[in-house]
Amino acid sequence: MQHTILLIEDKPGLRDTIQSLLELHQYQVITAANGEEGIHMATEHLPDLVISDIYMPVLNGYQLLEAFRAHEQLRYIPVIILSARSATEEVSLAIEKGAAAYINKPFLFANLNASIQQLLQTTSGSAPLTL
Amino acid sequence: MTLDNFVCEQFSTSRAYQFFHMHVNRTPMKNEETTVSQDALKLLNNASNIIAITSHEFKTPLTAISAVVELLGARLQASQQMDAFYEKNLSRITTEIFRLNSMLDEMLTINSIMSGRMTLNKQIIDVVQMLTTLRSNYYADPEDTRSFELTVTGIPQGIYADHNQMNRIFMNLVGNAFKFSREKSPVVEVHFDHHQVVIRFIDDGIGIPASDLPQLFQPFFRASNVNEIAGTGLGLSIVKTFVQENNGTITVDSIVGEGSTFTLTFLYYSDSL
Repeated sequence: MQHTILLIEDKPGLRDTIQSLLELHQYQVITAANGEEGIHMATEHLPDLVISDIYMPVLNGYQLLEAFRAHEQLRYIPVIILSARSATEEVSLAIEKGAAAYINKPFLFANLNASIQQLLQTTSGSAPLTL
Repeated sequence: MTLDNFVCEQFSTSRAYQFFHMHVNRTPMKNEETTVSQDALKLLNNASNIIAITSHEFKTPLTAISAVVELLGARLQASQQMDAFYEKNLSRITTEIFRLNSMLDEMLTINSIMSGRMTLNKQIIDVVQMLTTLRSNYYADPEDTRSFELTVTGIPQGIYADHNQMNRIFMNLVGNAFKFSREKSPVVEVHFDHHQVVIRFIDDGIGIPASDLPQLFQPFFRASNVNEIAGTGLGLSIVKTFVQENNGTITVDSIVGEGSTFTLTFLYYSDSL
């Protein structure tokens, strides 16, 4: 079964590259350039998983997590945060707000894919991953 | 000499300081004194902010480059065009990207120490959990298939320390154990003693010459036998600063050609109150 991943990243070059990497690994990918667009796409397509940056214009990653948590359907979709910020406070804040995993940029695709696979296999309510 | 004192001393003889002295710290007129020193502080703060912002900004292109390299590799694999030459050179690019990323992290850390922004946020830390997480996510050279071995003895207890700083200490010592050895997997031994936890990072690497040991934790010092192995010479001085900030101790035993053991000790939370 092909899983759908919503990728939210404001840098177009990086967004295209990650999208191609995900597609090469047999995921169906839809994209958004900021949190607001991301929420709109998520509500419309109900993806199996979301990968999101934190620092983006319009609506950032933390606000996106809050909006997902407050939404009846979106709250069950696992969100992986992909960010260049690695301070414990930032990781803890994202996990507190409901992120299912936190991966630092730059990242190895093997690590990202491992957490995607793990999250797609586990049911909601599992312990968050910090990578 | 502490790391921040040393860096400040280096700064006082640098071109940046000379520029700073010429343009800002000139002899003030009587009424100018306060304004000039406020300007000087503002300039230093701005410089520190610029370093912090640009270092983070560098991570965006680094992430894009590493993702493109991985995409090229994945495409070559998918079209069955990947061979040993491409594989070796693509993995070299990735290794250098992550090396540059570590240097940026060291720069950010030094900048935080110097600007006084390094605030301690102590909490109860489970060192075994931290090391287990580090083991499963540690990025090493793609050509190096080793992982470090973790052994735990005694009854686990928490220590009272800053999570970010402990993470930097562990990452640096594990990174060095990989970087300076090539045969056996590095070993991390955690022993919960009566009043303290003793953590040993053991490698079978090139070792450190005895004459270099006294300067090993000095900023910018690199052992005389590291040759072309890359590094800034800041890692161990940051480690020592952070160990001291968390009321721990660090010692090193090393024999050239046989390997090194870095030993850390930290009091338990209950004993540090």
